Amino acid sequence: MEQAWLIPLYGVIAFAVLALFRGFLPWQGKHLSLLAALAAFVTFWPVLFDMVGRGVGLYHFPRDWFTAGDLSVGWGIIVDPLTVVMLGLVTFVALAVQVYSLSYMRHHGADDPRIGWYYAVHSLFAASMLVLVLADNLLLLYVGWELVGLCSYLLIGFWHERPAAAEAAKKAFITTRLGDVGLLIGIVLLVVEFGTFDIGTIMAGVADGGANGAVVTASAFLIFLGAMGKSAQFPLHVWLPDAMEGPTPVSALIHAATMVVAGVFLVARLFPLYEAVGSAQLAIAAVGIVTVFVGASLALVETDLKRILAYSTVSHLGFMMLALGAGSLTAAIFHLLTHGIAKAMLFLAAGSIMHAMDGQTDIRRMGGLRKRMPVTAAAFTLGALALSGIPPLSAFWSKDEILVAVAGGLHPAFLVALLAAIALSALYMARTLRLVFFGELSRENERVRESPLPMVGPLAVLGALTVGIGVLALPLGGGYEGIGSFLYDAVGGPHPFELNVLWTVVGTTLAVGGLGTGWWLYDSRPDLVAAVRTRLSGVHRVLVERLYMDAAYQWTIDQVVLRVSRGLALFDRRIVNEGAVDGTGRVVMETGKRLRYHVTGVFSDYGSAMVAGVGVVALLLWLRA
Amino acid sequence: MSFAERHVLETLVYLPMLTAAVLVMLPFGWRALARWISIGSALALLLASLYVFFVFDRSAEGFQLVRVLPWFEPLGIDFRLGVDGLAVLMVLLTGIVAFSGAIIAANVERETKSYYVLLFILIAGVYGTFVSIDLFFFFFFYELAIVPMYLLIGVWGSSSTFKDFDRPKEYGAMKLVLMIVAASLLVWVAIIVMYNEAGLGTFSIPALSEFARSGGEGGGPGFSPQFQRVVFPLVMVGFGLLAGLWPLHTWSPDGHVAAPTTVSMLHAGVLMKLGAFGIIRVGMLLLPEGMQDWALVLFVLGTVNVIYGAISAMAQTDLKYVVGYSSVSHMGYVLMGIATMDPVGITGASLQMFSHGVMTALFFAVVGAIYERTHTRDILVLNGLASRMGWITAFFVIAGLTSLGLPGLSGFIAELLVFVGAFRTQPVLGVLGVIGAAITAVYILRLVARVFFGERSTEWDGLKDLTAREGFAMGALVVPILLVGVYPGPFLDVIAPGVDLVLAALEG
Repeated sequence: MEQAWLIPLYGVIAFAVLALFRGFLPWQGKHLSLLAALAAFVTFWPVLFDMVGRGVGLYHFPRDWFTAGDLSVGWGIIVDPLTVVMLGLVTFVALAVQVYSLSYMRHHGADDPRIGWYYAVHSLFAASMLVLVLADNLLLLYVGWELVGLCSYLLIGFWHERPAAAEAAKKAFITTRLGDVGLLIGIVLLVVEFGTFDIGTIMAGVADGGANGAVVTASAFLIFLGAMGKSAQFPLHVWLPDAMEGPTPVSALIHAATMVVAGVFLVARLFPLYEAVGSAQLAIAAVGIVTVFVGASLALVETDLKRILAYSTVSHLGFMMLALGAGSLTAAIFHLLTHGIAKAMLFLAAGSIMHAMDGQTDIRRMGGLRKRMPVTAAAFTLGALALSGIPPLSAFWSKDEILVAVAGGLHPAFLVALLAAIALSALYMARTLRLVFFGELSRENERVRESPLPMVGPLAVLGALTVGIGVLALPLGGGYEGIGSFLYDAVGGPHPFELNVLWTVVGTTLAVGGLGTGWWLYDSRPDLVAAVRTRLSGVHRVLVERLYMDAAYQWTIDQVVLRVSRGLALFDRRIVNEGAVDGTGRVVMETGKRLRYHVTGVFSDYGSAMVAGVGVVALLLWLRA
Repeated sequence: MSFAERHVLETLVYLPMLTAAVLVMLPFGWRALARWISIGSALALLLASLYVFFVFDRSAEGFQLVRVLPWFEPLGIDFRLGVDGLAVLMVLLTGIVAFSGAIIAANVERETKSYYVLLFILIAGVYGTFVSIDLFFFFFFYELAIVPMYLLIGVWGSSSTFKDFDRPKEYGAMKLVLMIVAASLLVWVAIIVMYNEAGLGTFSIPALSEFARSGGEGGGPGFSPQFQRVVFPLVMVGFGLLAGLWPLHTWSPDGHVAAPTTVSMLHAGVLMKLGAFGIIRVGMLLLPEGMQDWALVLFVLGTVNVIYGAISAMAQTDLKYVVGYSSVSHMGYVLMGIATMDPVGITGASLQMFSHGVMTALFFAVVGAIYERTHTRDILVLNGLASRMGWITAFFVIAGLTSLGLPGLSGFIAELLVFVGAFRTQPVLGVLGVIGAAITAVYILRLVARVFFGERSTEWDGLKDLTAREGFAMGALVVPILLVGVYPGPFLDVIAPGVDLVLAALEG
């Protein structure tokens, strides 16, 4: 298990080589990056089996990094079930996406001229994400956290000549950075309180109860701010839809399956902290459920395929946070896993459509595509059904866990909201499915063809996983007793998967109902949809304008931030610089000019001044005596 | 001590002077030779600096590589050289920045020889300040480093016209030199007063520091608390001005806008560090109680520096103003770290001095390269440069990411340590410090998006990327940024004994 530190290392090496020498390598060295991804995936398995063989638990391998003053920092790793699940997800999706990119990043048969850089950043991303999940201390975790943000920035802005891409990249970095202010302050507060960066020691200290309660509470909230930024929780979700300006494989890997779940992972990693601070846990649940609704309702009116998926991601990240808020680490991480696979597949399917339709993402220009792209259509349908919660597909199992957790751990209001959200999620999925793949194929899309093997291959593999991965909920033997016994929090303890008949039936009924309603509406009664839209034109407008949040943020930046900064800059130039500093200079100069007139050159003037001076000195001496 | 150990510190002072003297005697036309002599000399200085870095004993206490040459005995002035951990790091910084700067300076076409002569006088001054442990020579070299600035900016600088104000190069040169010299008078007064008060008849820093610790009655502090309280502000303001202390920072943006590239690199990269170094070396070591009295003021001013500099930078439209204000902001972290008087905080301040020095030199090198190609530094005019100038973009982005505190690069470790120190002492100011780093992200990323990304105007179609020589010079600056970011251990180990020295003084 100690070799787990190798897993991120491959990516680091691939990045270093590609960043410096890609110009000298055949195909700009993209296969090297692929090889690194493969090596990471291969190395994951012995780690997993070693863990199951040695007994599920937390294994800590410390290592020294540096010492500053009285503070020591390590770069050791933790290998526990949480890490193992993340390692599997990240290495697998990274590999699938890199294979997929082989075809996707070709335009008219030729590789993108910057393909080496694309793969270099992919490698760095995978490495950073793996560092983030392996880190045994908050500093190393923060290193991974920021570096995945950097890779996200670089990849969103990969086609940086496009102003929209440059803008989106900047927005993503700055928005998540806003949350990171909280994260960093939270981390430093904990470090100052406990005198170490080590997560294990800090968590033990928190559980101990001897620490300053106010500091612990403050850091719990502040660290969650960081999680909100990265995991696109309301109101910091605005960057994720814009991030769709990046190449679609990037959206699948970074903005669906891996980086955006870092916030969920962070809360899970520091779960003892949140168990100790009940108010923070409640806040997480509240933010989670609001995010679920915001994401789902914005997805309902969006017409851009990738942005629909992005809002769906926002919504599902909300589900995960809700589960954490309900105190179920199992449900959250299980959903993270099932969603990650299904959503990666959905994005890759969307990319397949874009590849076939010359970059088209407007769903109003699609329809009937299943006739031309059967594999893509099958994959997309599978993913949509899975995320709606249809048994026996992957997310059905995890959604069930979330329902049980919320029913057992939170106020009933959360449960009601969750049930409504499940129906709403199914509704927007049905709409998308219907408008993109079913109905009539338009004339302009007659020549659309299914994508090549490197693209449909990963789709097929992800599809198979979406069907099968739900079994992880159940005891599979060989020391594996089901997800609830593999992955659990200290307080909740191991628990077998319980098929709560009531919630299963209610949840599935709502999902099927949502899907059915959606299908019926968009297939047979578009007039009704139009009628609702006219009737609720106010609501519709607010949704189309994305709750006016982007506009509000933009206004704040333009009218407040930039104005203040221009004002301050003007103050600095006019008052401080030209006023005080140059003013001092002018005063000296003026004084000199005035005094100059007393230098007359007339002997008698000097003589009388001298006499006066001697007189004054004599007077002073006399007074003193 | 081996021969090399005995003479290496002198070499750092003599070699640049010698280089300047040789260059003076060179015929005017021999431009290529002047360049090669200069670059060769800078390389030798870099190697000597590295030698100091590696030969420095990380486990020993006090000043090392000490060498004393009597100079003027009636007043007790010696040419006394020695380094502690902090000085070693600054010597290394000077070596790196001077080497890179000397290569970049080869682009100067006008009066190349004289340019290099002045540059090497400046470098001699900087090295001299860092390695002198005699207050007289400390001050002498400090002044020596400043004077060439006037000519360098006034002759080789560039005048700028903005929408509603002008900045002739003479204005920038005059402002920079006058402000720094005026402030140094305060330092000179403080030095004379301390010399008299101690009454030891020596300017030796180790001797005075020993006196400050235990020269008083019954082994108590040598300088009375009242004395320290009055004298410390002279040191704080005098040196602080050179470190960009708010509100005495305005020479920095104006000076940089006017200065030629290498001068900006050396000035923001190394000279501003002299200020912070002076506060630590003279203020904390000799006037520890004064430091404690004034720490909160310094802390608050440092925090103002961070926030005020960052917000001002956001509104600038000239690349050099942006970098100039960002220096004001980043030097704030150094001042904050010093003011924490905490082992982690001071370590962070020292590392930030190094990190900022390299980073800002890289910034100015890149901005200079852009200006040479486009003849403008106006952010509103430049656009889409990345598609023509990949390397320039890469170097700018690396400098930018360092400045916004991205992990894996040097700025992060330094700022993090400052934050830990700050939260231990003044949590509220610490919070403001972290917010300052976020504001930095905003103005850097806005600038990158505007200048380098997006669509390119046709007027930039013919631009050429870096030459190999320029790329090498900038690459030499990236290496330490990455090293400190990934493997800060060796750098922190060098700082540690220096910090111990200061802490011992503070604890009395």
